Amino acid sequence: MSEPAVGAAVRSEWVKFRTVRSTPIGYAVTVLLTIGLGVLITFAIRSHWHTMDPIARFAFDPVSTSLAGTLFAQFAIGVIGILFITSEYASGSIRATLAAIPQRWRVVVAKVLVLGVTTLIVSEVVVLAAFLIGQRIYAGVVPTASLGGPGVARSVVLGGAYLALLGLLGLGLGLIIRHQSAAISVYTSLLLIVPIIVILLPSGWQNVVARYEPSALGRSMMSVSPSSNMFSAWPAAAVLAIYVVVTLVVATVLLERRDA
Amino acid sequence: MIVVDHVTKHYGHTVALRDLSFEVPAGVITGFLGPNGSGKSTTMRVIMGLDAPQQGRATINGKTYRELSSPLHQVGALLDAKSVHPGRSARNHLRAMAASNGISRSRCDDVLEFVGLTAVANRRVGEFSLGMSQRLGIAVALLGDPAVLLFDEPINGLDPEGIRWIRDVFRTLAAEGRTILVSSHLMSEMALTADQVIVIGRGSFITRGTVDELTSAAARDVLVRSQDNARLAEAINAAGGTTSPGPGGSLQVAVLDAATVGQLALRESIALSELTPVRASLEDVFMELTASATDYTSSAGAANV
Repeated sequence: MSEPAVGAAVRSEWVKFRTVRSTPIGYAVTVLLTIGLGVLITFAIRSHWHTMDPIARFAFDPVSTSLAGTLFAQFAIGVIGILFITSEYASGSIRATLAAIPQRWRVVVAKVLVLGVTTLIVSEVVVLAAFLIGQRIYAGVVPTASLGGPGVARSVVLGGAYLALLGLLGLGLGLIIRHQSAAISVYTSLLLIVPIIVILLPSGWQNVVARYEPSALGRSMMSVSPSSNMFSAWPAAAVLAIYVVVTLVVATVLLERRDA
Repeated sequence: MIVVDHVTKHYGHTVALRDLSFEVPAGVITGFLGPNGSGKSTTMRVIMGLDAPQQGRATINGKTYRELSSPLHQVGALLDAKSVHPGRSARNHLRAMAASNGISRSRCDDVLEFVGLTAVANRRVGEFSLGMSQRLGIAVALLGDPAVLLFDEPINGLDPEGIRWIRDVFRTLAAEGRTILVSSHLMSEMALTADQVIVIGRGSFITRGTVDELTSAAARDVLVRSQDNARLAEAINAAGGTTSPGPGGSLQVAVLDAATVGQLALRESIALSELTPVRASLEDVFMELTASATDYTSSAGAANV
């Protein structure tokens, strides 16, 4: 009984997900930021390349710089995840949802599958496009990378995974907080304010803590050779995945317990 | 059959339901009456498994709501008509609800047709009037063709045409043998639609019965006009009745019935120009039943106590 019921919940969530404007708008902004800012950033590097500091040129990573747009697109992705659940609380339709599926964990599983799979597909395509366009722009002036190079394909794949995981983080936060603007505030604070707080810490702590920030994890995931005080790519992905799983488990337990 | 079994629900320090118990029999329309804030909506949410009571439980055909799988086939509910994402079309809202319980798309079109929303099915729900939203809510409730239906204040905010439409829908659904629980704070509305009513106040059970039973159990006054009200009032008071000035120089008599008042007048040789039993209005009965159980009594009401 349980499996077809989850399937039905997935179909229901899929109808809901694709029939509100915020979904296509959110993904359009994601595409625009990832590719558009990727183009701007790579063009800027190309035009300044010859005046750049030799050390900076030596440390230059053509992969992560072409994917830098994701660090802006992460806000659009998070909002998609947050709205996917908080819009139900704002309108009150969460009660209709839970009346139709009283086994509430199924609602969470269905939303995770719909949001996670859709965002993963969109992000992988967009990140790959940003990478290819960036290398095209670098070509001839700046050193370029190819997908066959060491760690390159991994960076591109994990770049897409980073966005998908952040979408799920947004969903989990939205489910816990239940208010759209509060959830967006917490989400953006995690990505923007926490790094600033870390900078204010004594440097001994800073070196330990900084690598755990979500956006630092993202940079590790997308860089071919992360710096020594950061996580390397796969462990960074694992840490971020743990954040997401813990958030979603807490969200599910709260959803089961709280009054709708 | 819906059974509410010793349910107590509080939100923080606010007690919403106190040890509330009642049964809703199958196959009839049961009115669920109580003043605003008496706990009707909370009871509905507890029945629907949305809010968990601290004590007691509510069951539908022996199971709590959260034990039901694909519940839309067994229970349909209209709790709040405006609880729909405003950016989604009526048809897509129905399709999402239907998909969650494995209900076909053609059934969505059928219920849209039944509630008369086919022409506007592709419009965003945010543009809907309250009446249209109520129709959509009823369409959702009927999606799974359930035998049990719950409606929370379905009449609220509707225009007369919408009210008449909803009454007709209830009659149609009841004629099909469905169990219907419909809440209202208007007794007169229940007199028109419900076979029997359950009355609650301040989260506690007060009484149940048919509207006729409740009305006839209530006290009835007698309105009397005579050539000498003062002397008649004296006689009535002496016989154990109470009097108060009625409209247009009449005398309103409580406790005694019309026959007794007539005999008193005859004995005292006072000619009567009018003698009318005043049947208590439904609203009077309702006020009387729930007077001690309303949270917020107006100052005028308080002065009478």
